Amino acid sequence: MKYDVVVVGAGIAGPIVARNVAKEGHSVLLIDKKPAIGAPKQCAEGINIGVFEKHNIPYDKRFINREIYGARLYSPSGYTLEMRYSRVSGVILERKVFDKMLAFYAARAGADVLPRTEATDVIREDGKIIGIKAKKEGEPIEIRADILVAADGVESTIARKAGINTYAPPHEFDSAYEYEMLIEGFDPDLIHLWFGNNVAPRGYVWVFPKDEDRANVGVGINSDNPMTAKYYLDKWLKENNIPFKKILEVNVGVIPVGGFLKELVKNNVLVVGDAARQVNPMHGGGMAEAMEAGAIASKWIVEALKEENFELLKNYTTEWWEKDGKRLERVLRVRKVVEHLTDEDLDVFIQTLSGIDAEKIAGGRYSEVIKTLLKHPKVLMSPRRIALLKELL
Amino acid sequence: MTEKIRIIVNEDKCYLCGGCAGVCPSLAIKVSSSKWEFFQDKCISCRICVTACPVGALEAEVVEGKT
Repeated sequence: MKYDVVVVGAGIAGPIVARNVAKEGHSVLLIDKKPAIGAPKQCAEGINIGVFEKHNIPYDKRFINREIYGARLYSPSGYTLEMRYSRVSGVILERKVFDKMLAFYAARAGADVLPRTEATDVIREDGKIIGIKAKKEGEPIEIRADILVAADGVESTIARKAGINTYAPPHEFDSAYEYEMLIEGFDPDLIHLWFGNNVAPRGYVWVFPKDEDRANVGVGINSDNPMTAKYYLDKWLKENNIPFKKILEVNVGVIPVGGFLKELVKNNVLVVGDAARQVNPMHGGGMAEAMEAGAIASKWIVEALKEENFELLKNYTTEWWEKDGKRLERVLRVRKVVEHLTDEDLDVFIQTLSGIDAEKIAGGRYSEVIKTLLKHPKVLMSPRRIALLKELL
Repeated sequence: MTEKIRIIVNEDKCYLCGGCAGVCPSLAIKVSSSKWEFFQDKCISCRICVTACPVGALEAEVVEGKT
């Protein structure tokens, strides 16, 4: 088998790359180790509505469980902060359908798609990577390609075999555990997030409604925590008297939330999505970031193939860092400060902030909010809080 | 003597999520859609995989040296 491009991994970034490159007339193969693309999911399934138009994805009710109008945040002592819009701001997807549809769009654009095909290694010839070794339904195969795209998730086997160092220390990952379950008593038009060092160290508990009485209920914590994510989620459910005997799914995984690869390209190999740790470090969501990275990567793959100049692939690194990398680095700085907040700090900040402030945070306008916080008496009385906030200005 | 460990998976608890492979600095764990594998020769005994597992499916067994 020989292709212009082989994409390993049919999560979010992989099919976007495959679709965009195939659309330009190049031969593309998209493979995934799972027998059913999209399953099991490792995701809370929430995404901003803007991505559909931006990345030319149909707003298809087949993969949209529920439209969401905002968010409510809960502090450790129960103070709340709400953002509610009159229009739809986001959706809770059905990833099992969404991922498969993204692969379908890639196939319809001309890409070949092979599930249950696991990349095991790269093929080198005279020091150059000329393809991958894989197992297709257990049978070894070799796939030759001019360009390799490692979209193989947090394990990033192909990126690492290609010599791209995707390693990060354990503190830079979150460990996550989630039930899709029946749950009542929460406004199903909003996503709900609970913060607190005993609730979810460094992270949060989420309820993302998929129905009036069904939701993804999960937790993310620092992955070097001595206790497991499952421990924290079960504890939270018990403490909040939420029955958990109607569970439809269990989803687990780790999330890279501690920084981004400096070099996203090595010769003819590109790394995108979770494999490149392109995840928002504040909330751990990575679908929009994967789409953005996939769009940029595919643009430069098309250029490189057209010009027959693989040096152009390096522009993916440059453009990603200019467009998304710089922004996400700022978010990472904020997260590192948030990590040091006590439960009392969280109470004070959630009490103090308004819905408009929360909107500014969601939009990345942190400094405006920090300036507001710095004027608040409960902040002014605490040199430690002032110091923490000033780190962010 | 430097400690050497062997990572053992509890298959009943494991979801094959690949998180342990993702955090392993030395590619000592491989997770496919149907199988979890450990490569002793690559393991550097750091135990990062054990703490990162969201469900506590991994255990470290000392095979050489002291804990």
